[in-house]
Amino acid sequence: MINIFLSHSYKRFIRSVAFGRELTKGIFMALLALMLIAYALIAGFALDGLVTKVFEQPDSLLFVNRLLLYYFVFEFVMRYFMQNVPALDVQPYLHLPIKRTLIAHFLLSKSWLHVFNSIVLLLFTPFAFTVVAGRVGTTYALGWLGSLVILSWVLHYLVIFYKKKLDDSIWGIIAFGSAFGSLGAADYFQWFKLSDVSAIVFRASSTIWYVLVTGLILFFFLYRLNFQSFVSSLYGDDWSNKKNSATEWGKYSDWQFLKGFGAYGEWISLEIKLILRNKRPRTFLFLSGFLLLYGLIFYNDGGNSQKMPGFSLFVATFITGAFMINYGQLLFSWQGCHFDFTLTRPISVRHFIESKYWLLSATMLIAFVLSLPYAYFGWKIILVHLAIMLFNMGINVFIMMNIAMWGPKRIDLKNGDIFNYEGIGAAQYVMAFPILLAPYVFYLPFSFLVSSEVGILAVGSVGLTGFALRPYLINLTTKRLENRKYLIAAGFRKE
Amino acid sequence: MIEIKGLKKIYKNVTVIDIEQLSISNNESFGLVGNNGAGKTTLFRMMLDLVKPTEGIVIIDGKNVQGSDEWKKQVGSFLDEGFLIPYLTPNEYFRFVGNLHGYSTADLKAFLEKFEVIFHGEINGQNKYIGDLSKGNLKKVGIAASFIGNPQIIMLDEPFENLDPTSQIRLKELLQAERKLRQVTYLISSHDLNHVTEICDRIVLLEKGKVIKDLRGSNTLAELESYFKG
Repeated sequence: MINIFLSHSYKRFIRSVAFGRELTKGIFMALLALMLIAYALIAGFALDGLVTKVFEQPDSLLFVNRLLLYYFVFEFVMRYFMQNVPALDVQPYLHLPIKRTLIAHFLLSKSWLHVFNSIVLLLFTPFAFTVVAGRVGTTYALGWLGSLVILSWVLHYLVIFYKKKLDDSIWGIIAFGSAFGSLGAADYFQWFKLSDVSAIVFRASSTIWYVLVTGLILFFFLYRLNFQSFVSSLYGDDWSNKKNSATEWGKYSDWQFLKGFGAYGEWISLEIKLILRNKRPRTFLFLSGFLLLYGLIFYNDGGNSQKMPGFSLFVATFITGAFMINYGQLLFSWQGCHFDFTLTRPISVRHFIESKYWLLSATMLIAFVLSLPYAYFGWKIILVHLAIMLFNMGINVFIMMNIAMWGPKRIDLKNGDIFNYEGIGAAQYVMAFPILLAPYVFYLPFSFLVSSEVGILAVGSVGLTGFALRPYLINLTTKRLENRKYLIAAGFRKE
Repeated sequence: MIEIKGLKKIYKNVTVIDIEQLSISNNESFGLVGNNGAGKTTLFRMMLDLVKPTEGIVIIDGKNVQGSDEWKKQVGSFLDEGFLIPYLTPNEYFRFVGNLHGYSTADLKAFLEKFEVIFHGEINGQNKYIGDLSKGNLKKVGIAASFIGNPQIIMLDEPFENLDPTSQIRLKELLQAERKLRQVTYLISSHDLNHVTEICDRIVLLEKGKVIKDLRGSNTLAELESYFKG
């Protein structure tokens, strides 16, 4: 029976209408997995050297143990974003004489074959055999390694349980992440040391057996829990229908004040509903929120960024334009499923383009305001952000909208996977380049000839000029969409 | 008033529509029939400026549909799911389309009451997104929305498909009642010869993109049946 399931999965892949796309995706995923494995392996062999040489810790085992709890928190969050609830198209099997329990076991066991489940093994095996075994003997080292592996596998089923039971509750993961973030901060400022707890739990001595046994119990318990939840939810409607009718998000998406803007307001408010009610655009929104923190990595370097303001243009483009880049690359695909509606209803193409312009511009303004605290690292950063925001509003938005018209593809909004490459075509791969490079076209000549300040000023002025010429640029964009609309509409009608 | 002049659509050397001249006058109830691949939907799409003709033009109220937006207030249409917004509830969708036509809350309420006969309590006030509705209910939402704004022309592709018998009968009554109330031109394509001949006083038969019959009068159904038997 298991063989049949596997062979069906294989046939489904081989005979898929979108085989080329699936294959590309498969190869991409395999490469990504190989890369992860290679990194983990390299990191595994380098771990001891890294701790003793780079971090200058005398006791590498103690140092690693102190960080292990944090590592698992990190792994949990990573798993949350990258791991999916296992799914098989169960509908065709439910009415046949196949035991439900068998299907559930199959789904759960298959899910276990995941690249994440090998990471801990790769990362810590070299360390366990060289350092830990050398210090406390092979038996304890094996116990130590075993505990880590089993805890990682516990996380595997914990994530599945969490995702299946609390579908879409991203607040949970944010609360979880920030709780541990503050614990980390408390650790750093030495108020409460979670790292000490971690060091005690993972001490490679006789107590490690308790950890191992607890891990095993948890592992079987969570497997059982998932199993029960799978068996009881193996109904066709459970897998397809329930997903999108979550009105929890719907409640927050009706923004009445937008009505004041007339037809634009209507379309903007429609697009806000689209973003908040569908998982994939929502993920993009959260991702853009996280990208606001991008500056912490670059600005928090003791003033180096001040010395090379050219690089901060790049960072600033990401910070203020993250949402425009992420969401805008599929600008027309999002509404591809009702493009015919858009074209036949009493709204002009110009209004349609303009509503998108204002929506994207508003997100950039919001990102700019939210990034104001970066003034802490120097007020010049704010000037760069301002110049880039203007540039994004005046130039980049139009670049984005025009490239997005290049062969957009239809998106199934219900599919919310993070590795969902639907709607991504050639245009989307090259799109980020002109947007990231465009500011430099105006910055570099002035910064070489005069100074970097004048370069920034030039970028801001060009942006402002574009913003002032907005009606004209919107007209151009509108004309282009009008010419291409038949082609785009035909593309969206293809499944 | 809709006028079609020298309309042609050619996909890779295959002619899917080739209509020399066709005019549909105001207040006419126009039915379009033909086997699969006859070009019914393509013709409708060209009339709505969704597909660009290879040659020829479609004129609504004296204006070429291509390159103008004015006709959109006067034409209500529902061809397929591409005319619906899956992430809205039906009520939000009606409100949205209503706002595009300047509907007040009272207008919207009157509209919903009118269509309750086919909604059957399954659409109005339901807290479910359109994307999660059944095929039949999707159709009802789309048909109803094409009436918003009291457009002069209403274009429906296969309106009876997927509807339950009760709704089919009630929809027919609703379409006929609307014509008694005000001036309205219907363009309806259908495979159901009984329904379409009942509603439409003029039936055009398409075959491979060409108008091969333009029928009026009481003999229409018999003539169509003899064609399709062939």
